[in-house]
Amino acid sequence: MSGEVGSLAPLLPAALSVPRRRDRAARVRTLALLAPAILLALLFLYYPLVFIVQMSFTEGSSFLSPSGAISTLENYVTIVNRYLPNVFVTLQLAFLATLVDLVFGFPFAYILVRKVRYRTLVRGLMVFPMFGALYIAFGMRFILLPGGPATPILQALGIASTDALFSLPSVVFAMSIFTFPFMVLNIGTALSNVDPTLEEAAACLGARPWQTFTRILLPLTRAGLVAGALTVFGWSIGTFAEPLLLGSINEQRALAWTVYQRGVVQTDYGLSTAMGTVLLIIAFVVTYLSLRYSRGALIE
Amino acid sequence: MTADVAPAIPTTRTPAPARRPLLNTRRLTDVLSHAYIWLCLIVFVLPFLALLGYSFTGPGGTRPAQNFAYVVSSFGDNLLWSLKISALTLVINVAVSLPAAYAIVRQSFPGKRLLFSVLTLPLYVPGAVIGISLVLTYNFTYHLTTSMWGLVLAMSLGTFPLMLTPLVVALKDLPIVFEEAAECLGATRWQTYRRIVLPLIGPGLSAGLLLCFIIVFNEYLVTLFVHPPGLTTAPLRVFNQIRTAGLSPTTAALAVTMQLISFAAVLLFFRLFGTRHLKGTYLL
Amino acid sequence: MSTVRLASITKNYGATQAVHEIDLDVADGEFVTLLGPSGCGKTTTLRMIAGLVEPTGGRVFFDDQDVTFLPPRARNIGFVFQTPALFPHLSVADNVGFGLSVKRAKKPAIAARVEEMLALVGLTGYGARLPAQMSGGQQQRVALARVLATDPRVLLFDEPLSALDRNLRDTLKYSILDLQRRTAKTAIYVTHDQSEAFAISDRIVVMNAGQVEQIGTQMEIYLNPRTEFVAEFIGANNGLAGTVTGIEGVGEAARTIVASGELVLRCRSVALSPFGVGDSVIAYLRPEDVVVLQDGEAAEFENLVEGTIERVIFEGPTAQIRVDVGGRQLRADVSGSRRLSFPEGRGRVRLGFNDLTLIQAEPTNPAEPAGPADPAEPTGATGA
Repeated sequence: MSGEVGSLAPLLPAALSVPRRRDRAARVRTLALLAPAILLALLFLYYPLVFIVQMSFTEGSSFLSPSGAISTLENYVTIVNRYLPNVFVTLQLAFLATLVDLVFGFPFAYILVRKVRYRTLVRGLMVFPMFGALYIAFGMRFILLPGGPATPILQALGIASTDALFSLPSVVFAMSIFTFPFMVLNIGTALSNVDPTLEEAAACLGARPWQTFTRILLPLTRAGLVAGALTVFGWSIGTFAEPLLLGSINEQRALAWTVYQRGVVQTDYGLSTAMGTVLLIIAFVVTYLSLRYSRGALIE
Repeated sequence: MTADVAPAIPTTRTPAPARRPLLNTRRLTDVLSHAYIWLCLIVFVLPFLALLGYSFTGPGGTRPAQNFAYVVSSFGDNLLWSLKISALTLVINVAVSLPAAYAIVRQSFPGKRLLFSVLTLPLYVPGAVIGISLVLTYNFTYHLTTSMWGLVLAMSLGTFPLMLTPLVVALKDLPIVFEEAAECLGATRWQTYRRIVLPLIGPGLSAGLLLCFIIVFNEYLVTLFVHPPGLTTAPLRVFNQIRTAGLSPTTAALAVTMQLISFAAVLLFFRLFGTRHLKGTYLL
Repeated sequence: MSTVRLASITKNYGATQAVHEIDLDVADGEFVTLLGPSGCGKTTTLRMIAGLVEPTGGRVFFDDQDVTFLPPRARNIGFVFQTPALFPHLSVADNVGFGLSVKRAKKPAIAARVEEMLALVGLTGYGARLPAQMSGGQQQRVALARVLATDPRVLLFDEPLSALDRNLRDTLKYSILDLQRRTAKTAIYVTHDQSEAFAISDRIVVMNAGQVEQIGTQMEIYLNPRTEFVAEFIGANNGLAGTVTGIEGVGEAARTIVASGELVLRCRSVALSPFGVGDSVIAYLRPEDVVVLQDGEAAEFENLVEGTIERVIFEGPTAQIRVDVGGRQLRADVSGSRRLSFPEGRGRVRLGFNDLTLIQAEPTNPAEPAGPADPAEPTGATGA
């Protein structure tokens, strides 16, 4: 046997013929594979976020001045004193858009999941809103222009065009169109996990449709509803196209736009980053809640 | 025995119809249901259609060709920038997400769930916050304000989770036995990856590409914050035009062009791969 | 081609020991089967031989080469999985040629080899098809062609037939054996199906709970089981727990006397060292070795007992007679014309038997004395 040992060696590259543990190499490999993603997130999300939170505690643009930063809570105080309406409007718009999406989205999702057979067509058309709130707002503004296509209908209803155009309802309407597909997705997933035979069973037991809805469907899809609502809410607090294009002065106070104005246009970094931080906190609370309620993690 | 049980449960007595009613509740609900869906769908498409109509108008009648020609001539640069930025972002997203997705699905390490949450967080941060944080960081730490790459990386940061998720789903659905078989047959890791894994997750990868393309191509919010001077993408141009010059048919034509291109991309994807692979993303 | 040697192979997953210090020597060209119930560690062992799993301890040798930490692609093995695992986007020919193309062989050489392999498995002409267009059995044959194309030195099979239906399993297992003989490759096969193992192996390794219970030929493990587990897992068996009360005779004629309940049994002992009086043992008796005597039939048996018929199960070629003997239930399998002699399924009978195998009882929970193999669930080949 020993005479044959030598004959095997030339078949293998020298490095491989030495027994070596493989898990250390595997760990390095894992790290290398994850590095680009982690780096991207760290450099372009986490560090910048930390940066602006820091900046929010400094006065004006003093963070960047050579004489050093002046730390202060003044920015937040200013927000409380002068910008609460902005915060309020932002929350209000997001809340209303979410409500509209819930109310109209549930039946849509239900019909889509349970009854419709031409689902691909529906999905194909459902992508339009997702191209961007900008086009929706643009289109709606055009429709609602005085002298525009909707004017005759509005006149018949006794509403002045300008009332319809620059108003809260049109902003909310546009916002809810944009986020409608997200809501439908979440509700649809939750609904498709509910066995249709449960509804049939309820009907056989004598339940009326409203009762089936409130006592069977709602409880079972609650997680999907909450996840959808929170997703929509989170998206809605960060938008400015609809408030700007379709809103009155009041709606144009949406925080996202105020951040831009104070930050980029007026370079009041302290204040704008403070507003950004406020937005961030709201978003994180919402996200945290939605992740807790969402069905089934993708990763075990 | 039966006499004891009956009274506790109330019963309703509905008279049985003699013939099949023509307008019964079931049919009515069906009709109403479909009508509702169609109503919603029309509402979705309405802004686009309105803009489409608008883009065909001009002073003194319809002149669609001129409006769209104007789009090409005046806004052509913007369109090209949009395409270029989208393409670069897609490349970076793939380069970043593909290895990460593989590591998440195939390797074992502690804190996977946390890592995945950390990596998908950009989706949950409001656009304005990303915008302000990046523009300030670019200005004062990274000094990236005048480079196209600042915009590209911002886009990439915002959308790579949308590439990551379909890839993770596709890899999870790929039985590991294929890679094991390839390895036992003598393939190196790279050969297995290139010849077996990549082709088989192709549809998932394309789903990610589609999603990211649609979002980046039409992005205006973060772009507003971080774009280098002189680099205006098409959606940003639309936004600026409306704010400065108000509504005009040419702007509408540009918006319509953008949406048509996006829609064409979606149709292409549906045609090639069907809707299966968009599971877990926002498009399905 | 290659011998395979496992030296104290161990695999732990955290606190769980999946495989515990397994030693095995497989000769060149031998067909060895790892047989055992699910979870016994046979697949883990196989995957360690392949290199898909890294052992926690011990070594794997191909001939004299230590391959313990070599990745699978460097070991030159052929691994056939439970599912055919054909690459769905490649044609049958591309699948079969895959192992060669990753080693950058020339296209004409690959094509020739693919043809050769397809002919070997009887699938000539199917090269252009896609796996999805083939049946389950055909796919598994393509999988066989694929692993043979690279001329591996060891073939490894992980329950390749368990996903197929019964008829296909029967034909395919002989095809596998035939291929192995013709190519003269060392083969290690994993299955939980005893009839499969018995049909095609040179030797069988019976495994349980991560350890080897016994290694031997079919006859060895069937006729001379060395542990309780082997006695009960392989085929059906009557197990009678008892205590040794005496030893008679020497050599070939040596008999151990065992008291089991009310019965007194004369047994041959298979232990490596003889039993002593007072040892706890289990006497195993195969149902086919129990002769059910007709009334008045003369009998020359070392052991003769009387009991009441509890049940008769007519199975076709055999009949199972369950007899209550002194509180224990014994199962007797009767074939031939005798099996028709018990139409009423009750009454008293006499049972005669000679061949009892004695195995040391494992020290178990004092609350559960080892009893007869559960009559309701016969362990063994008939059920597979």
